[in-house]
Amino acid sequence: MWEYDYPFLVDESNSHTLAMSSETESTDDGIVREIGHDEFDPVGTLALILIYFVIIGGLWAFMYFVEFLGNGPTVV
Amino acid sequence: MEIHRYEKLWFGLSLLLIVGFIGTITYGAVGAGVQMVSDSGGTVDPSYSTINENEKFAQQEGNRAIHVEGNEYEVAVIAQRFSFSPGTGDPITVPEDSRVTFYVTSPDVIHGFSLVGTNLNTMVIPGQIAEVTVEFDELDGDEPKEYGIICHEFCGAGHEEMAGQLQVVPEEQWEGDA
Amino acid sequence: MGVFANEYPDEAFVVRAALGSAFVALALGGLMGIIQTLHRTGYYDSLISNADYYTVLTLHGVAMVLLFTIFFLVGFFQWAMTDSLGRESEDIRITKLWYGMMVLGAAMSAVAILGGFFDSGSLGDVQADVLFTFYAPLEAHPIFYVGLAVFLVGTWLAGVDWFRSWWAWKQDNPNERTPLRAFMVLTTMLMWYLATAGVAISVIFFLIPWSLGIFDSVNALLTRTLFWFFGHPVVYFWLMPVYMMWYVIMPKLAGGRLFSDPLARIVFVLFLVLSVPTGIHHQYVDPGIAEGFKFLAMTNTMFLLLPSFLTAFTVVASLEHGARQRGGEGYFSWLTALPWHRPAFTGMSLAGLMFAAAGFSGMINAGMSINYLVHNTLWVVGHFHMTVGTAVALSFMAATYWFLPIITGREIFSRRLGLAQVLLWFMGMVLMGNAMHRAGLAGVPRRTADPTYDQVVFDGAYGAIGELRFQIALGGVLLSLSLLLFFTHIVLSSFDIGDRAAATPDTIPAPLSGPEHAPAVLDNLRLWTTVAIVLILLTYILPLASIVTNGGWLGGSYGALVAEYVLPAVSSTLDVFVGVIG
Repeated sequence: MWEYDYPFLVDESNSHTLAMSSETESTDDGIVREIGHDEFDPVGTLALILIYFVIIGGLWAFMYFVEFLGNGPTVV
Repeated sequence: MEIHRYEKLWFGLSLLLIVGFIGTITYGAVGAGVQMVSDSGGTVDPSYSTINENEKFAQQEGNRAIHVEGNEYEVAVIAQRFSFSPGTGDPITVPEDSRVTFYVTSPDVIHGFSLVGTNLNTMVIPGQIAEVTVEFDELDGDEPKEYGIICHEFCGAGHEEMAGQLQVVPEEQWEGDA
Repeated sequence: MGVFANEYPDEAFVVRAALGSAFVALALGGLMGIIQTLHRTGYYDSLISNADYYTVLTLHGVAMVLLFTIFFLVGFFQWAMTDSLGRESEDIRITKLWYGMMVLGAAMSAVAILGGFFDSGSLGDVQADVLFTFYAPLEAHPIFYVGLAVFLVGTWLAGVDWFRSWWAWKQDNPNERTPLRAFMVLTTMLMWYLATAGVAISVIFFLIPWSLGIFDSVNALLTRTLFWFFGHPVVYFWLMPVYMMWYVIMPKLAGGRLFSDPLARIVFVLFLVLSVPTGIHHQYVDPGIAEGFKFLAMTNTMFLLLPSFLTAFTVVASLEHGARQRGGEGYFSWLTALPWHRPAFTGMSLAGLMFAAAGFSGMINAGMSINYLVHNTLWVVGHFHMTVGTAVALSFMAATYWFLPIITGREIFSRRLGLAQVLLWFMGMVLMGNAMHRAGLAGVPRRTADPTYDQVVFDGAYGAIGELRFQIALGGVLLSLSLLLFFTHIVLSSFDIGDRAAATPDTIPAPLSGPEHAPAVLDNLRLWTTVAIVLILLTYILPLASIVTNGGWLGGSYGALVAEYVLPAVSSTLDVFVGVIG
C-alpha cells in the first residue's frame, strides 16, 4: 500500500489532529463522524450535476435555435 | 482503476453534451447552410493601390451593391483607419430580397466588420480578403431597413469612431436610384 | 513538524516575493479597470482621453492576465513542489534567478506600456498601445516585446527548476508515485512549454526584428495565428493552479477528503494533451483559414470541456464528503453544513459556482457558427471576467487567506474582513458579468473607448442599453471596493497588529481513492507530451503552411536587409548545393 512518507503534511490515518488557535477557524474542522471510501455515495453531487446538465442543455438549445438562428441574416 | 458509478454516469452525460454541441453546429452547416468565413476570398498585398487593382475592388464605385446576375450582388469594402469605404458617410445600399457577397480587406491593420444585430460578423486582416455572403429578405412595406456597421477590433486611437451603415432598399427605390 | 515558512525559509521567501509581485500587478490592473469601466459606460469619461483609454486597456490586460496570474502561479507552484516532494530547491540561486527574470521582463513591458501616457519627453516614442493581444501590424516599442520574451523565459526556467527537483526526488524515491501536487505542477509546465512555443516564435522571430526595423512587414494572419496558438492554452495555465486548489485544498477546508486522486491526474493529463490544438476557435471568423481547420479546432475544444466537467463532479463530491463528515444530511441540505464562515472556502466555492456559469458562455464561444453572434462583443468580455476574473482571481484571493499564514508564519488579520471581500467580489461580478453578456447579445462591441455611435442603434432584448451600462459600472465599483478590502487586509496581515497567533501546521488528508488506484501509465509524462505534440502538429501544420504559402512569411514585402543580403545568400548557397549534387 503506497504511503505518503511525510506525515507532517498528509494525514494517512485520517484522524484530524489539528490544533488551531481560537483566532483561526475555531476548534476543529467541524468533523463529527468519519466516512470512509466504501461508505460514501455522493448523491448530493449527483443531484446537483443532473440539474446542471438540464440547465446547460436547455440554455444551449435556447442560445442556438432562438438567439443565433433568430439573429439573421447569417453568413451562408 | 475504479470510478464511482455516479461519476461514470456524469462522464457519459458529459460526452452526450459535447457530442450534442458538435451536432447542433454541424446541423447548422448542413441543414441551415451556415458557412464560416474562410480562405475563399484569397489574398492581396496590403497596399491601397494593389487592393484597388483587385477585380472586386476595382468594380466598386460608390456605395451601391454591384449586380452580378439574378438576385446576386457584390459589395467590396475597404476597412481602414478609421472608416469603411463604402459605408461611412453614405450608407452601403443593397436591394431587398437579395443575396449579397461582401469582399472586405484592409491596407493597414486588423479591423472588424460587423453588421450589428445580425450574424454578419468578420475579421478584416491586411493581406487577406474576407468573402461573406448573406441573404436579405423582402422588406415589410416600403421603408428602407437600416443596419449599423461597426469595427469591433482595436485599430488605433480613433477606433471608437469607426462605423458605417448599410441600407436595404425596396425594389422600386433601388431601380429608381440606378 | 512546522509551518512551511519555518521549514523552508528560502523557498518561502521566493513564494512571498512572487505573491507580492502578483498583488502589485493586481493593484495596477485593478486601478486601470475602474478607470475603464467608468470611462466606457460614460459615468466618468473626463479623466483620460479616448486615445489614452487604449493605453489603460493594455495595462489592464497585461497586468491582470499575464502578470498577476502568472506571478501568483509561480509562487503557488514553488510551494506545491517543495511541500509535496518534501525537499528544498536544488539550487535556490536558480529559483531566485527565474523570479528575477520575470520581474525584469514585467518591468520592461510595463514601462513600454506606461510610455503610452506620455507624448513627449524621454518616453515620448515609447508606447505599447497594442492591447494584451498585440496584433501586428499594430506596433509597440521593441522594449515591450523584449520584456515579454524575458518574462516568458523566466517562466521556462522555473519549469526547469521544478523538473530538476522532481528528478532528484525520483532518484531518492525510486518506487514511489509522484505526489499529486508535484504531478499537477509538472503537467501544467509541460503544457506551458508547448503553449508558449507559438507566441515565442512570433515574438522572437517576427515581432522583435520587425519592431527594430530589420523586417519591413510581418504577415498579420501568421502572427495572429501564432498568438492564438498560445492564447487559448494560457487560460489553462491560469486555471490549473486553481484546479490544484480546488482538488487539494478545498476538500480539506470542507472537512473532507479528495474524492479521487486518479481522476485528478486524468484531468491534468487531459489538459496537457488537449489544451493547445484549440486556438483557432479564437479565429472562427478570420479570413485566410479554411473551414475544415476551424471545425477541427471546434471538436478539440468541445472535448476539452471534459476535464472541466469531470472536475466539477470530483470537487463537489469531495466537498459533499466534508459536509457529511461535518454532519450534513439529505440531497441538498448538506450544503449548509459546509464551513461558510471561512473566507478561503467561501471564496473558492463562489469562484467555482461562477465558473460553472461562465463555462456555459465558453461552450457558446466554442461553437463555430454561433460565434457570429458573439465574436468581439461584450459577451466575450463578460465570459472572461467570470472565468479568469473570478474563477481564477477570486480563488487566488480566497486561497491567499489560507496560504498567507503558511508562508509568513502569522495568521491573517480578520476572517470577517476576508469573507466580506470575497462576497463583494462575487456580487460585483454577478452584476457586471451578467450585464456584459446581455450587452454583447445586443451587439455592443468590446475593446472600444466609447460604444456609442451615431450610425448604430443597439437593441437590447434583455434590458435597455442604459440599464446594462449602469450595471456594468456598478459591478465595476463593487469589484474595486473588494480589491481595496483585499489589499487593506494583506497589508494589515503583514504587520504584527493585535494579538494574532502564529500559524499552525496544516495537514492535507489522504484522498478517498488514492494514487495507488491510478494506473501507472498516467505518470508517463513523456507519453502524454508526445501525444500532445502529435495533436498540435495535426491541427496546426496545414493551416500555418497555407497561411505562409498564400501570404508569405513576412506578408508580401521583405525588409531591405533581408532582400539585399539574406535572400541572395540563401539562393547562392542553394545553387552551390544543386551544382554539387546535380
